[in-house]
Amino acid sequence: MRPLDGVRVLDFTWVVAGPVATRILADLGADVIKVERRGAADFGDRRGGLSGTLTRGKRSVVLDLNRPRGLDLARRLAAVSDVVIDNFSARVMSNLGLDYEELCRLRPDVICVRMTGFGLTGPYRDHVSYGPTLQALAGYTLLMAEPGEPPAGFGYSYSDLAGGNLGALAVLAALWHRRRTGRGQLVDLAQLEAVASLVGPTLLARALDGGVSTPTGNASQEEPGAPHGVYRCAGDDRWLAITVFSDEDWARFAHAIGDPEWTTRFVTRAARLEHAAELDRLVAAWSRTQVAEEAMALLQTAGVAAGVVANAEDLCARDPQLAARGHFVEVPTPEGRTVRIDGPPFLLSDTPARVGGPGPLLGEHTDEVLGELLGCGEEELRALREEGVIG
Amino acid sequence: MAGALAGLRVLDLADQKGALAGKLLADLGADVVLVEPPGGGSPLRTIPPFWQGLPHPERSLFFWFYNTSKRGITLDVARPAGAALLRRLAADADVLIESEPPGRLATLGCGPEALRAANPRLVVASITPFGQRGPYCNWRASDTVAEAMGGMLFVNGHQAGPPLRAFGLQAYHQAGIFAAVGVLGALFARERTGRGQDVDVSLQAAVAGALEHVPGLWHQAGTVAARQGTLHWTRFFRVGRCRDGWVMHCTVGDWTSLVEWVKADGMAADLGDPPWEDVRHRATGAEHLFDVLDAWAARYTVDELVEGAQLRRIPYAAVRPPEGLLRDPHLAERGFFVPIGHPELGATVPYPGPPFHLTGAPWQISRRPPLLGEHDDEVYGRIGVTAAELATLREQAVV
Repeated sequence: MRPLDGVRVLDFTWVVAGPVATRILADLGADVIKVERRGAADFGDRRGGLSGTLTRGKRSVVLDLNRPRGLDLARRLAAVSDVVIDNFSARVMSNLGLDYEELCRLRPDVICVRMTGFGLTGPYRDHVSYGPTLQALAGYTLLMAEPGEPPAGFGYSYSDLAGGNLGALAVLAALWHRRRTGRGQLVDLAQLEAVASLVGPTLLARALDGGVSTPTGNASQEEPGAPHGVYRCAGDDRWLAITVFSDEDWARFAHAIGDPEWTTRFVTRAARLEHAAELDRLVAAWSRTQVAEEAMALLQTAGVAAGVVANAEDLCARDPQLAARGHFVEVPTPEGRTVRIDGPPFLLSDTPARVGGPGPLLGEHTDEVLGELLGCGEEELRALREEGVIG
Repeated sequence: MAGALAGLRVLDLADQKGALAGKLLADLGADVVLVEPPGGGSPLRTIPPFWQGLPHPERSLFFWFYNTSKRGITLDVARPAGAALLRRLAADADVLIESEPPGRLATLGCGPEALRAANPRLVVASITPFGQRGPYCNWRASDTVAEAMGGMLFVNGHQAGPPLRAFGLQAYHQAGIFAAVGVLGALFARERTGRGQDVDVSLQAAVAGALEHVPGLWHQAGTVAARQGTLHWTRFFRVGRCRDGWVMHCTVGDWTSLVEWVKADGMAADLGDPPWEDVRHRATGAEHLFDVLDAWAARYTVDELVEGAQLRRIPYAAVRPPEGLLRDPHLAERGFFVPIGHPELGATVPYPGPPFHLTGAPWQISRRPPLLGEHDDEVYGRIGVTAAELATLREQAVV
């Protein structure tokens, strides 16, 4: 048993943010029907890897929404779905006649989730966006840099993950509300607002002090502390993140690295913060001689927060903790292959969320879904396929 | 209109690692009671920045951000009388959220099994650096250490420079989101089983669940994604410089419109050549392509360039500081910032608003963050603690 058994999601999402939201619903047991067009793009292997991690456990149906009969099939699927979700620009679903008002006619208690870049209202509602442009607008790109240096930002579309993960929460909240009241609703998720909601206390500070935010490299954004940052280790592009907040943390750190003489100058937090740059150089001189994994174990054994800056191989192939949690899973495909896919990052003790299957091939479930949910017979399916309505 | 989660009762014992989970649930309408140690209160109250720069437990903007819509009580769960009181509170709750080292609450007699003995329907969400089990489960992490070990840091930053942590505490934030998601999943399951269950959230795994290309490209091709400055891994985005600031270029919008525009300005170099019409060629040749676009963008201000691009449906955006959100007319019209009064300080504080609009059950900041112990009387009164008992507990510093 999984928590969302019996919940059906009609999923018009594409690229990354929307599929991230619906993959969590699929992990939780929802029947997620991914509506795609013929020739839809993917990231390579649809079964596993990047694409499969986005579409794991979903069913794929290919419909031509530009044809009346394709649109009619979509509307009939919507009538038997609890949730209808998309991440197109605001006007696409309206132009298709699949906006909330229309969907309500098909199913009065529908939960309609519109994951646009800027939302359904406001002067920029028709602006176009992708993850990188939204995280730039929310301040992440400029503020992720060394002090005084040009912006670096995320190397990927964090905004898509922020919007997607919060999108899953929005769907769950709306489903909970419906279970309690019997009423569906429209969810207007602006991905700009989703990622902006995760900026944190800095926004309160700027609202109140009118000041200017500047990048602070890898300095602490929580409790003030030093050393705090990322330190180069032996080898090629190997780094260790180290966090020292309290004087007790510092005593443990100093002892773990052998109490070198210089550590006696930094016993108070005030001294460490005042001389943070010098301290960074001294810690880096130590770390440069260390193997990152060994230094991590040394410091953690002493009770100091430290961690290897994991690259893809560290993360997926070497990390024993994620392996113990079963975070990455090997999933068999109908073709007899095995693909690797990320699993849900939270564990439920009794009714676990889990990867329900590999990513679907394009249109793999068209006949199955249309037969099962709409009662389309073989004859009808053949005719629809010949006309190019389904694929 | 009531919030989507109205009627749910949540006890929130989490520190900064899990504070967002309770806020997400509270702003969606759940009754979330923050449980703080007596004396100094939540550790978040000591974290800067502070209102008008003056450190004080009631002036931490860090505490404020994460504690909207929550009520607050004090309780020393490390003392037997405090643990007993927590068990009574949990008997009346749907959800308990905590971020103690694995097993600590159990040693105090308040582990999930003990709490569910009295209340089988209780959902217990634990937010820890690495999760409840496994070789690293007793290791420590800050937000930055969790971002590092979850794979977020390595790909951020310039090629020759160090990996860079995220802006904002994104390991904590993702853990908070996944805890809220897990709690709701457990509540749906409870509708069928009648039983609560444990939600085990690891900061490291939450970060790994907020990656894009890093694990996927490893899984499918054994590729180790590298840092490449502001060049996005898809090679369709890079930061460029305008006359007055930075802009995010994008080469997957309407390419024809973009090239026509650059051509009209006489700055297109070879970009009008047919091979560039192929999106794959634009990825392969990204360095040259963005160099040409940079030279062109330098003629414009950021506003001019973004306005021109959006008119042509090309997804460009300003690379601006976070305070740009405060002055954004679009967010203003959508009411993203919500003014909340702090009458004790004579202040009105614009809080960043909903992550999403549930139009049928609005997100809402129902109250300003609680003062330390503000709701002791009403919360303890509800579970039958008399005024005399409460006075004794106060003398013993349990409350």
